[in-house]
Amino acid sequence: MIRPIKNARELAELKDSIVSQRDARKQCISVCCGTGCRASDSVLVKKGVEAEVAKQGLKSEVTVKSTGCHGFCEHGPIIVISPKEIFYERVKTENAGEIVRETLVKNNIIPHLLYTDPATGEKIKSENEIPFYKKQRRRILEKNRLIDPTSISDYIAEGGYEALAKALLEMKPEEIIGEVKKSGLRGRGGAGFPTGFKWDFCRKAKGDRKYIICNADEGDPGAYMDRSILEGNPHSVIEGMIIGAYAIGADEGVVYVRNEYPLAVSNLKAALAQAKGYGLLGKNILGSSFQFDIAIERGAGAFVCGEETALITSIAGRRGEPRQRPPFPATRGFRGKPTNINNVETWANVALIINKGADWYSRIGTEGSKGTKIFSLVGKVNNTGLVEVPMGTTLREIIYDIGGGIKGDGRFKAVQTGGPSGGCIPKGQLDLPIDYESLTAAGSIMGSGGMIVMDDSTCMVDVAKYFLNFLRDESCGKCLSCREGTQRLWEILSGICEGKGAQGDIALLEELALAVKDASMCGLGQTASNSVLSTLRYFRDEYEEHVLHKKCRAFVCGDLVGAPCQTACPLGTEAWRYAALIEKGRYQEAYKVIRENNPFPSVCARVCDHKCETRCKLGATGGEPLAIRALKRFVTDTVDPSAYGPAKAVETVRDRAKVAVVGAGPAGLAAAHYLSLAGCKVTVFEAEQEPGGMLMSCIPAYRLPGEAVRKEIKALLNESIALKCGVALGRDITLDGIFKDGFKAVFLAMGANESLKLNIEGEDTEGIYPSMRFLKGFNLKEEKLAFGHVGVIGGGNSAVDAARVALRQEGVKSVTIFYRRTRREMPAYEEEIVAALEEGVNLETLVSPVKIHSKDGRLVGARCIKNKLGDFDSSGRRSPVPLAGSEFDAPLDTLIVAVGEQPASGFLKAAGLKLHKNGRLCVDEATLCTNRQGVFAGGDIVTGPNTVVDAIAAGKKAAEIIRRHLNGEDLKIAAGTKLPEFYIEPAKISEKELAEAKRVRPTALPAEKRKKSFAEAERAISAKDACREARRCLRCDLKFTQKEEVESGRNGGAVCRH
Amino acid sequence: MPTLRIDGLDVTVEPGTTVLEAANFLGLEIPTLCHMDGLSPYGGCRLCLVEIGTGDKARLVSSCTYPAEGGLVARTNSKRVIRTRKMMVELLLSVCPSSKTIQDMACRLGVSRTRFKARNDDCILCGLCVRMCSEQMMAGAIDFTFRGNKRKIMTPFDKKSAVCRTCGGCMYVCPVCMLRCQGPNPPTVVCGSCYNLEPTCTEHFDDYMCYLGTTGSCGTCVREKRPESKKEEATR
Repeated sequence: MIRPIKNARELAELKDSIVSQRDARKQCISVCCGTGCRASDSVLVKKGVEAEVAKQGLKSEVTVKSTGCHGFCEHGPIIVISPKEIFYERVKTENAGEIVRETLVKNNIIPHLLYTDPATGEKIKSENEIPFYKKQRRRILEKNRLIDPTSISDYIAEGGYEALAKALLEMKPEEIIGEVKKSGLRGRGGAGFPTGFKWDFCRKAKGDRKYIICNADEGDPGAYMDRSILEGNPHSVIEGMIIGAYAIGADEGVVYVRNEYPLAVSNLKAALAQAKGYGLLGKNILGSSFQFDIAIERGAGAFVCGEETALITSIAGRRGEPRQRPPFPATRGFRGKPTNINNVETWANVALIINKGADWYSRIGTEGSKGTKIFSLVGKVNNTGLVEVPMGTTLREIIYDIGGGIKGDGRFKAVQTGGPSGGCIPKGQLDLPIDYESLTAAGSIMGSGGMIVMDDSTCMVDVAKYFLNFLRDESCGKCLSCREGTQRLWEILSGICEGKGAQGDIALLEELALAVKDASMCGLGQTASNSVLSTLRYFRDEYEEHVLHKKCRAFVCGDLVGAPCQTACPLGTEAWRYAALIEKGRYQEAYKVIRENNPFPSVCARVCDHKCETRCKLGATGGEPLAIRALKRFVTDTVDPSAYGPAKAVETVRDRAKVAVVGAGPAGLAAAHYLSLAGCKVTVFEAEQEPGGMLMSCIPAYRLPGEAVRKEIKALLNESIALKCGVALGRDITLDGIFKDGFKAVFLAMGANESLKLNIEGEDTEGIYPSMRFLKGFNLKEEKLAFGHVGVIGGGNSAVDAARVALRQEGVKSVTIFYRRTRREMPAYEEEIVAALEEGVNLETLVSPVKIHSKDGRLVGARCIKNKLGDFDSSGRRSPVPLAGSEFDAPLDTLIVAVGEQPASGFLKAAGLKLHKNGRLCVDEATLCTNRQGVFAGGDIVTGPNTVVDAIAAGKKAAEIIRRHLNGEDLKIAAGTKLPEFYIEPAKISEKELAEAKRVRPTALPAEKRKKSFAEAERAISAKDACREARRCLRCDLKFTQKEEVESGRNGGAVCRH
Repeated sequence: MPTLRIDGLDVTVEPGTTVLEAANFLGLEIPTLCHMDGLSPYGGCRLCLVEIGTGDKARLVSSCTYPAEGGLVARTNSKRVIRTRKMMVELLLSVCPSSKTIQDMACRLGVSRTRFKARNDDCILCGLCVRMCSEQMMAGAIDFTFRGNKRKIMTPFDKKSAVCRTCGGCMYVCPVCMLRCQGPNPPTVVCGSCYNLEPTCTEHFDDYMCYLGTTGSCGTCVREKRPESKKEEATR
């Protein structure tokens, strides 16, 4: 029977009687019934378990209990079976029977319901072993998983209300305040005011009645720790409030909670009723003369009502608007009386401090911030959920150790702390220990503890815009600075995102943001511009890119991106346009669209790294991107290059000037081609006997047949281009000589074809070849250097190419690629790795060579060491760490070193050109100018090993810049995204077709057949497949074009809206 | 009785006085818009900002609502105050560029144009009318509705009010319901002529002794020469 508890002894007796009635060996199934798990039907799961328990006749032996939130909401619904502490995740209703039959009756663990560590693949049995929980310090949230929030007995059994008894019956109010002061507890609602001092002010304030308020108006998007505490452990908040009321001298308390938290409200209501029943609320609490009661006030969900003065006004039934402080609520608050307001999490800390003492409490934390803090970790992170850590934990520990790192392939970019009022903290500050001061110094705030992790697919200008949009709506509107300021900030940001940003916008943004911060009355306004100021502080380059270059690097701001495929392509190829033309069967036009922007269409159709597909919206929305490269291959195989006759520029360069291009690779030839179209007389010097550069010498014929390259080169040469093969700069000619011969400009595009060395002992032994030497030897001279057991060191494309070429050479018994990280980190294209493995290439990851073994001056093997993945480095990849004592020997007859390439540019230094340390040429990024007048450079010689399409783009850009140079114009090419310009009628496609359509897969030779052959492996797709694939295109371009009203027929009957 | 220091001057005031009143007592001028004697302090227009405290703790508060506490140190014209106040006026000007009151205010503070897109609202939400209606006219017919950028002043549910006596008190105090300067400039530009009493046109047009301070650009003295531009401005 429930009756009021009269003193501490009765409380202890009650606890003993509850505990003694329980059998510690009795099995207990706890089902998480927090809001997160309820959303995935945990209530049904619990019902299912109960039904099954009854069916099995176990009712007397098993307790089924619903508990509060466990925090690992990503993996809900969660079930914990004690006393063995078995942790099951993502339990479905159909698993209920299985759990009872297998685990409860037969004592078997069900492996498929256990948590799998993604790093090791191991199944983990208990909650405490899961990395997400292991690194946390759960002082507040710990009890959530142990108690049923609707049962006060559970709370008392866990030692609940003991702190109240101690405070009320043994301590004086001043002692309690002293203890709280000593503990260093600071307000968890955001501002971090020392709680003890706040209480002290209120206690000392003059007033016949005093009030205390619990602020449960949690409004930050993505933050839910207060909800979780109120739902899962309401008594901890009630106990804290009673202690606080006693210390302050208040006799009435209010919990202001959002109406959007129905479960929190109902659990709290139940808890209040129970506490009243036990005499813990009301008159003569625990037999003392102290009286106190708590009422619930539900808020209508205004963000500003989290501000204390607005909250008090709202409780009083008026508009939730803040007012000037002073007077502070501690002197004049609720009903004009001294009032103390604390946040839910702060109240939940109080009982802990009284129970275990201030010294125990302040043992963890930093100098100025003590105890733990709950963060809600959300966004692009693997483990989302509630995380409780000691103050001073670094962001890196929270995001990588507890959060499990970044989701998918993205890279960490920034983390937004403190919700809309907080700021973004960038990658460079990952090691920031989190406390109130450090966050403020970094331009953010603690706030209520929201933590939104963002990866590189997030645009920081867009983020600032998002939060400002929230705030301009949530501002109460009283202060001009906040109401009009947030509105104007949002307008400027929107303008920038729409490409309407003007010079001076960033300065105005900053000026206004500072003014809003300074001039506003309450916390909302004073922090409203934090997101703008912090992103400006850390990501100003992104703002400048948006304003000056009209570019959004994350491909988020639609008006700056246009059609993502077109913008992603370094050449600006209108992929959407040729896809649409293919769908209409207009192949000739499609070819023209491709060829116009790219002089190497059939090369790119085979070996392009298809940035267009990476950015395709079809892929971004969870599906598979459009097979743009396959479509291009279809067109280039179907249409003859003669279909395109490039138009010569009307405005030719002055006096048909002579231009020299050094290097006949993709960059050099593209430059020569476009220069010749502009009216220059171009001479191309090539060191090898045949043009093509890397296309011929490095890319194996099964990926790119030499014939295709030759045909392409033949088509782009014309009478204005003279090709001189076998002439190398530095060996046969010099820069001075070129200028002496009357050339007005030189474009250097010799590429990067010197392999890097391993820098280990015995590297010059016979049998070891740099990958460039090996590939060139075979592709150009048919030298077969590999035999026996072949090893390849490296994980890039040239390593995989070398391995696959070696495999095709006679006398090769096996080929093994050794890579120092894991396959996930390999830079080579995924499809190449898959193909190599299919053909029988072995892949050994987490291995590095340390020493070469030789016999009679010839290679016989290599000593390798195993690695493990260590910490995340600056590139966001985990760096390899050698494992001591794990060395092993690999017998090898041939070793190919493919750990990277650099330009062979030593002689250019002698010619007076400036080089970087790694041999790359120093050029001005915007104008490709070297430090010598009239000498330009582009392609791999500037960037280091890069893709074909980037080299072609560099050549094309160089041609335009050299044309301007010759005509004496400004070299800088105005930036700007090219938006789709031509309207093409979209295909009529039914929902059903769209849903069923799958990405086309080009047929390839089977591994067995291609293993020993250099015949091209991949075939072009059929016309039918091409049409079907093209129909899948989402046609992002249609947002920017519209059908022309008049029937002019020009450009396929379309005009541009812009 | 609390003693505080404003702009280096010590002043002792009655308890319950605001910083604005204390400053006015000293003869210091602080611009205000939403403040009016006889109505309760509101603190919405943020023009009467003053800087209180020193060093890291220094912050801006609205002087019309901040109580004059003993030992308070306030500055009414610090660099930070002026900078922020100017931005506030620029915001006001962008909302109601046609208000004569705001134009004059801007001119006095040296703000000659707004960089934000003009919106031509007919209300700056200073709340004078709301307080006038409830505190002086005892009607309470109008109040704020909605919040943030959607905030408006209206009668309940925007229906004809039963308690409104159409006394006109709201219009009497409104700083925006005034005819704007009919000068030649677009509303977003403040020429400041009314406040500049130096005859400046004398250099150009000796006979006119023009006080408008716009050296011919206002067009009065050369009207016949620039008929189109005048027309164009007028139609804006």
